Amino acid sequence: MQDALVAPRVASRATVAAVAALGVAIVLLLSAVHLTQGTSGVAAADLLALLTGAGTDQTAAVLVASRLPRLLAGVVVGAALGAAGAALQSITRNALAAPDTLAVNAGAHLVIVACAAFGLVVPVEASALLAFAGGLGAAALVFGISGGGTGPTRLVLAGSAVSLALFALVSVLILLFTEETTGLYAWGSGQLAQIGLGSVARMAPVVLLGIVALVALGRRLDVLGLGDDTAVVLGVPVRRTRVVAAVLAVLLSAAAVTVAGPVGFVGLCAPAVVRLFAPLVPGLYRHRMLVPMSALAGVGVVLAADVLVRLALGGQGGIEVPTGVVTTVFGAVVLVAVARRFRDSGPVRQAPAARSGRLRDRRTFLVVTAVTLALTVAVTAGSLLLGDAFLLMGDVANWVAGRAGPVTTFVLDARVPRVLAALLAGAALAVAGAVVQSVCRNPLAEPALLGVSGGAGVAAVAMITIVPTVGVWTLTGSAALGALAASALVFGLAARGGLATDRLVLVGVGVSYGSMALITLMIVFTDPWNEAKALTWLAGSTYGRTFPQVIPVAVVLVLAVGGFVRARDELDLLALDDDTPRVLGVPLGRSRLALLAAAAVLTATAVSAIGLLAFVGLVAPHAARALVGARHARVLPVAAMLGGLLVCLADVLGRTVIAPAQLPAGTLTALIGTPYFAWLLWRSRVATG
Amino acid sequence: MRGRRIGVALGAGVVALVLAACGTTEAPAGTPTSPAPASGAQISVTDARGKQITFGGPATRAVGLEWALVEYLVTLGVMPVGVADVQGYSAWVQAAPLTEGVRDVGVRGEPSIEAIAALRPDVVFAASDVNEGALTQLEAIAPVVVVRDADASDPLGQMRRNVELVAQVTGKQAEADQMLAGFDSALAEGAQRIAAAGLAGRRIAFADGYLDGGRLSIRPFTEGSLIETVSQELGLVNAWPMAGDENYGLASTDVEGLTTLGDVEFVYWTNKVEGADPFVEGLAGNAVWQSLPFVQAGNVTRLPDGIWMFGGPASMRQYVDAITAALAG
Repeated sequence: MQDALVAPRVASRATVAAVAALGVAIVLLLSAVHLTQGTSGVAAADLLALLTGAGTDQTAAVLVASRLPRLLAGVVVGAALGAAGAALQSITRNALAAPDTLAVNAGAHLVIVACAAFGLVVPVEASALLAFAGGLGAAALVFGISGGGTGPTRLVLAGSAVSLALFALVSVLILLFTEETTGLYAWGSGQLAQIGLGSVARMAPVVLLGIVALVALGRRLDVLGLGDDTAVVLGVPVRRTRVVAAVLAVLLSAAAVTVAGPVGFVGLCAPAVVRLFAPLVPGLYRHRMLVPMSALAGVGVVLAADVLVRLALGGQGGIEVPTGVVTTVFGAVVLVAVARRFRDSGPVRQAPAARSGRLRDRRTFLVVTAVTLALTVAVTAGSLLLGDAFLLMGDVANWVAGRAGPVTTFVLDARVPRVLAALLAGAALAVAGAVVQSVCRNPLAEPALLGVSGGAGVAAVAMITIVPTVGVWTLTGSAALGALAASALVFGLAARGGLATDRLVLVGVGVSYGSMALITLMIVFTDPWNEAKALTWLAGSTYGRTFPQVIPVAVVLVLAVGGFVRARDELDLLALDDDTPRVLGVPLGRSRLALLAAAAVLTATAVSAIGLLAFVGLVAPHAARALVGARHARVLPVAAMLGGLLVCLADVLGRTVIAPAQLPAGTLTALIGTPYFAWLLWRSRVATG
Repeated sequence: MRGRRIGVALGAGVVALVLAACGTTEAPAGTPTSPAPASGAQISVTDARGKQITFGGPATRAVGLEWALVEYLVTLGVMPVGVADVQGYSAWVQAAPLTEGVRDVGVRGEPSIEAIAALRPDVVFAASDVNEGALTQLEAIAPVVVVRDADASDPLGQMRRNVELVAQVTGKQAEADQMLAGFDSALAEGAQRIAAAGLAGRRIAFADGYLDGGRLSIRPFTEGSLIETVSQELGLVNAWPMAGDENYGLASTDVEGLTTLGDVEFVYWTNKVEGADPFVEGLAGNAVWQSLPFVQAGNVTRLPDGIWMFGGPASMRQYVDAITAALAG
């Protein structure tokens, strides 16, 4: 990995020039095709006629006020993100650093949405400055909690977590301020369409200056690539160079967000594309070439995505489908490809909480269990009482006894399934997370991060899109198939060199980003005005759950927990290393497969019950291990309760705070779960950093 | 030890909480009673799902989850007890204003089951896109009449059938007949005015638009939309070339797509709650917009705020008045 970022000695000017020319030619070709696409009848022939002076005024207007702004938006955004990605990857010496994985885009986006929500009408320049502040804040946070950002996995995880939390905040704002933020939901996925050259013209100089400044820093960045010590010896101010380059990268990303919203993963893709050619053309490693070539590749990626959408769906499709969703799919593929090329990065990174060697005594376990149980009961009771209508315990008692008054009956009839769905789905995700973490021996593995939840979501949304009236069991079944397929894909792709590596997490994160983008694509394309559906699947919601929908989760949870209880010793052994279970006669491959499949099915039932829920499967098992030690007989019940507790709490807050309107549980889970996760990463930074 | 102390404290807290939360907000049910006492003959209707629903008498406590249904109710003289997004309704549907006491039951996409339950309605009118689980929970509270609120293959017919369905359930057939007859004569009168102004056969493009950041998305009301069909009844002709969706007849396009229209009357609606006027302010200085023949000829009309283009006879009468006033003077 690192060798790829080091500037080699040999550089042939001719080859470099040839590659650059080839890149420019491809981008020009894409631009030409891009200009012929649109919602009007203006085609290539009309544009040619314009060149010879035979075109109409309207054709000229279409070119100047519609096609060119969109093209230039693509150019500005692509160049900015490509260069930003290259700079961030160089200063972190990490091929997975990018405006998205460092949450820069999410931070800038949040600030812009917040402005709209609070009714601040600001000129483009000011909004770019605000976006810059937001992006800088988010990046600083990610660097901070990942401990300097040198480890790829920690950086990507911290970035994903912070992005998730910021996007959760964005959806809270959009839900709270529906009027003020109309349309920003779609914009959140990155849209190139412009009504004029205004924002492009204002941001282009910023982007140009940013790129020029990065190129000017090129020599220093080259030296930095040789290692900090060498750089110091050669007289390069390491810290200052890093900070200046990072600030420039954030500025570039913020400019891009101001123009088109967060266009996903261009900053990750573009340098990766350049690096693909770099072994053939060593000169490309030099930053004076790397930065502009990444910018060029960024333009290529954005334009290719936009051209592709409109080739496939026509001019009108280009209005409905956000370009950023397509680039996110590209980005997911690149993320997986880059992650696959990782060499095993040595010993398994384990958060201290996970390998907690301290043997907790039985009494601690009992106390923790009692307290967790009491808390779960309290939160469950609270969530039965709170909501749009406030009830008292007597009402619940009457309801249980079947003699409640009619209003109480209706309220609880609707509320109890929701509370149950939250409790059970939370427990299912937590148990699945605990099992996956043990089997993979990776404390960062969890169903949502590994793309398993995403796979279940893709299959479920595809199913309800094709057959809207599908039954609960069929839906759960197809989600299970999707989850198993996604696990097979992730584990298959990461299999080289064993499972317990960072690669698994990185491949998983890639697959999970890809599946989120696919879900957005399916919903935007088939059901564009159904915001409720999008929120249910992408954020996780208990709205409208009924008892029959909760049954699959309950059944699978009981079966799985039964199985895991029997396999608890096996789980303990698998979590240790490969040899111990083998020596003790545990059929390693078979048990792993069975346990992972059980976890995937468990995840799928949770997803089909309440949609994608982030971080529950990660946070709950961690907290459980920290509280009661590593033995599964103890971890599983505590994790299950903590998972249920977390989702139930998120759900009741979402149902109560802005009643009669509501926030989806998953949004609040992300808001509650992310700080814990961030703290977990931050606390473990010294141990592994 | 610390764990235990925390445990004891928490346990005590829980107990205190439970004790404090005892009591009831509602007296237990004695003997179960049937909801509304039957007054008059039984009413039986078939809703959009093909489900047969029987009422003991005209429903009086109605909840409306889609604004068109609320408009029918109000104009038929049945003030609903609950409406989804009261604030939005009041801004967008001014043909049939709500009175003070109408309770907000949440957003249209995900109305609060609990708020509806608390209202003890005897009928809930919902559009056909309600979440299936929520529908099941609503049906436990009161009979739910599911209405297909729009059908692009027969928008006016669908509107009439909906009005009649709502009237049947609420026992307001006479009012419905009167309302629909009034609507028909308003249409005929409007058509006369259009013809008298020499505008019969005039091509019209109706749209709305959303401005966000540097982007304007335009929503054409194509053939099959309620507005387009009413305009057709007036003697105007749809100019949009593209097809819309199968329910509302809506499509999407951008400024560039307007160049396909040619010489038309361009009519749009928006609302001041949306902020800046998407066409006039959003497109000021846009070369494509300025190159459009209807812009150059000044044939661009913004309708008054608050006419609900997916509404019922009352909204459509407002539209007829507004469009004839704008075009025929």
